[in-house]
Amino acid sequence: MANLLIDERDMKFVLYEQLNIEELCESQHYAEFSREMFDMVLDAATKLAEKELAPTNADGDQKGVVLENGEVKVPESFHRAYQLYCEGGWAALPVSEEHGGQGFPLSIYGATTELFVAANQALLMYPGLTVGAARLIEKYGTEAQQRTYMDNMYAGVWAGTMCLTEPQAGSDVGALRTKAVKNSDGTYSITGNKIFISAGDHDLTENIIHMVLARVEGAPPGTKGISIFIVPKKRIEGEELVDNDVTTMAIEKKLGIHASATCALNFGEKDNCIGYLLGEENQGMRIMFNMMNEARLAVGYQGLGQASAAYMYALRYAKDRFQGPEISTMKDPVAPKVPIIQHPDVRRMLMWMKSVTEGIRGLLYFASYCGDRIHAAKTDEEAAKYQGFLDILIPVCKSYSSDMGFRVTELAVQIHGGYGYCREYPVEQFLRDCKIASIYEGTNGIQALDLVGRKLGVGQGLLFKSIAAETGNLLKNAKKNFRLKDIVEPFDEARAQLIEVTRYFGLKSITEDFMTPILYATPYQDLFGDVAVGFMLLWQAVIADRRLEELYGDAKADTPEKKAELLRTNRSAAFYRGKVASAEFFANTVLSLAKGKARAIMSGERSAIDLPEESFALF
Amino acid sequence: MKSLVCLKQVPDTETQIKVKPDGTGIVTDGIKYVINPYDEFSVEEALRLKEKFKAGEVVILTVGPDRCTEAIRTALAMGADRGIHVNDESLNDADPYSIAQVLAAAASQEGYDLIFCGHRAIDDDFGEVGAMLAELLQLPQVTLVTKLEIADDTQSAVVERDVEGGKEVIEVPLPCVLTSQKGLNEPRYASLPGIMKAKKKKIDKKTAADLGITSERKLAPTEYTMPPERKAGKKYEDMEPAEAAKIVVEALRSEAKVI
Ligand SMILES: Cc1cc2nc3c(=O)[nH]c(=O)nc-3n(C[C@H](O)[C@H](O)[C@H](O)COP(=O)(O)OP(=O)(O)OC[C@H]3O[C@@H](n4cnc5c(N)ncnc54)[C@H](O)[C@@H]3O)c2cc1C
Repeated sequence: MANLLIDERDMKFVLYEQLNIEELCESQHYAEFSREMFDMVLDAATKLAEKELAPTNADGDQKGVVLENGEVKVPESFHRAYQLYCEGGWAALPVSEEHGGQGFPLSIYGATTELFVAANQALLMYPGLTVGAARLIEKYGTEAQQRTYMDNMYAGVWAGTMCLTEPQAGSDVGALRTKAVKNSDGTYSITGNKIFISAGDHDLTENIIHMVLARVEGAPPGTKGISIFIVPKKRIEGEELVDNDVTTMAIEKKLGIHASATCALNFGEKDNCIGYLLGEENQGMRIMFNMMNEARLAVGYQGLGQASAAYMYALRYAKDRFQGPEISTMKDPVAPKVPIIQHPDVRRMLMWMKSVTEGIRGLLYFASYCGDRIHAAKTDEEAAKYQGFLDILIPVCKSYSSDMGFRVTELAVQIHGGYGYCREYPVEQFLRDCKIASIYEGTNGIQALDLVGRKLGVGQGLLFKSIAAETGNLLKNAKKNFRLKDIVEPFDEARAQLIEVTRYFGLKSITEDFMTPILYATPYQDLFGDVAVGFMLLWQAVIADRRLEELYGDAKADTPEKKAELLRTNRSAAFYRGKVASAEFFANTVLSLAKGKARAIMSGERSAIDLPEESFALF
Repeated sequence: MKSLVCLKQVPDTETQIKVKPDGTGIVTDGIKYVINPYDEFSVEEALRLKEKFKAGEVVILTVGPDRCTEAIRTALAMGADRGIHVNDESLNDADPYSIAQVLAAAASQEGYDLIFCGHRAIDDDFGEVGAMLAELLQLPQVTLVTKLEIADDTQSAVVERDVEGGKEVIEVPLPCVLTSQKGLNEPRYASLPGIMKAKKKKIDKKTAADLGITSERKLAPTEYTMPPERKAGKKYEDMEPAEAAKIVVEALRSEAKVI
């Protein structure tokens, strides 16, 4: 097996066969690109990920970051990998040429992100946050701010962070207390404490640009009174970089991503921390919201990347590890031992991992592709349609990918048995690294509230209706293919269940029983994810089935034996057969549970709410 | 310093090779192709020379079907200036001699100070093209190069090469043919700006006729087969060691015929 980070064939299948991203090149916006260039980018990314980023992953995990004399040091091996990443221009891949990037489609960016994250999630945190911060300056910064900060950040010369969280302000960002006082020269003096700040300090770059949410003196309480500031670690005075009074108080010891510094930062301990307003006062939350889709999708890619690598490693292990005889010879003590991939329970786990990973890949690439279609749209309606898909799918992409990605890594450990629990094999690190994705960038619980409380309500259910219509079209198309009957039926049924629960939520939200949708927001999000992933797998199966039939036809494989022979000798045929199987498996073992899941939600069961706190346990 | 880099596209080392059922070749469907790793060393070395002397050109010379464009473009993305792609039906599956003939003809049309080849290609492992090319062009050659110093007057080079158990240092006049070995350098990665630039660089397409060549193949494959699968071992259990030794020796002599 070549690449242990990602199934490259599947990556290309989604990009070229499912989404047909080559078509984007026909639009003016992407006219200078071609399939050949996309392939070169994917190959170059694969090579860098495999040869440079992945080999530093375990080292980063074991060494972690250290805080010494107030300065954070990343593992030594990260310096070279980071430098190569920046020199290659990877951070700015989708950034427009005008702003110093290459302007590639977001779908290509998505694929490279999956690869890089699969290789080394902790390392990718540094450029990931830098790009997030630079994006804000690109969109809202003045020309001078762009030249001073953004250019250096896209080039990887300076890094960036996002400083939202404070001890009392986690999910509830509106509770933040960091203070900004306007100076006579138009700058602001910043004082406050931030915690959990990823990449808050490190020695990869000479300067770090913090994007800090703070409250200007006298601003209204809650989210309405939040502004956002550019606060460099070292500010520019004349030609020099001088210390800007940002101190690293501590770094967290944590479950995973050991090599990503999670810092507690103090701003203005000596009353000498200067911030520069981005946009206007009290616009901080609006500005952050604008970047939220991109950031949440990026976290979804972390779940996918870990799932992808975990599956590939588990598959290889299952083929290599001999244990026990084949089931039919179980009683014979001298029966030959077989690789564990021959045991049904192991196969079932692999099949689940395969179908879920491929489904999430389809979903996330599709979300990125929606971004491309917005850029390439010929009409406002077209752009609005894809924006709508994106808006409703984002919480699902973020939560489902991180939750299911984690479960894929968990099964990878399971398949490795005792070895999987040990450091010697990489899968336990995947599991630990993956877990954070369901927590930061808005916990998955907060995502569910966004989905149910906000997105379902937009335009009286407009977003949901448009997704339902899109899946309905696919369904109509798929129903024409008799061979796909076993996939289509469970999908049809699960989709109908989702629509019914959505309607039920709609009714509840206009009665006084609005608690039910809130209480069941997460199970609903999960059901939504099942259907969204099922939609992707069905879409893929329609294509794969057609290709497979063509290959059978070309090879005149008209009997089961001849087909089996073709699957053994023809890689494409084997691949397409696997795609159809992913959809079959997911439809029959996951989507078929939709009815039960819907019933659980609509039971309206309220004990979780009604139970007096005293009754949860006697402390 | 003008360098010609002869570059071949080969299946990725990690690809599991399958032989076509009729034995006429390997199954190419779904194979991932890459630049022959030894040719990557050549590209890198040629780029370094151009950078060092701040003058000259790096030209990629490739024989092969359409798919090879990607390999050429990747070398262009690393920084090479332009490519020559000899793409001719008659040269698919050509033997080393035909390839050397084509390269010699193309090289003669181009002009050069140095010609780089990989010391072998990792697909068919012949390791003959570089040597044949030098002979056809009547140039000196140094094979298995691990270090290269070009004299300031660019008239000669001091070259280190691998020999059994050590290194050999050779001085060679230019122009010459060098074949690259692992250790020569560490090839750079193609960057995104490099990929964007590569798009605009020129690749000249040529046929055998353009070069005035009709291939004179010296070798033709008759059949491809996979190496035989290793048979499961035999176990001699539940017996006295002395008896087991006797049986094993007998088996080695009469069954395995190795002693
Ligand atoms: C490794 C790491 C890196 C991080 N990086 C950054 C960073 O770079 N920048 C940054 O600003 N922050 C960062 N964070 C902070 C992270 O975003 C927060 O931890 C997260 O938003 C949750 O906040 P909290 O930890 O205070 O948990 P809480 O908000 O206390 O949440 C605890 C639990 O309560 C639930 N909950 C809370 N409120 C509600 C509600 N209204 N309705 C329903 N459920 C609710 C949550 O879903 C969760 O399950 C990072 C955290 C970690 C661990």
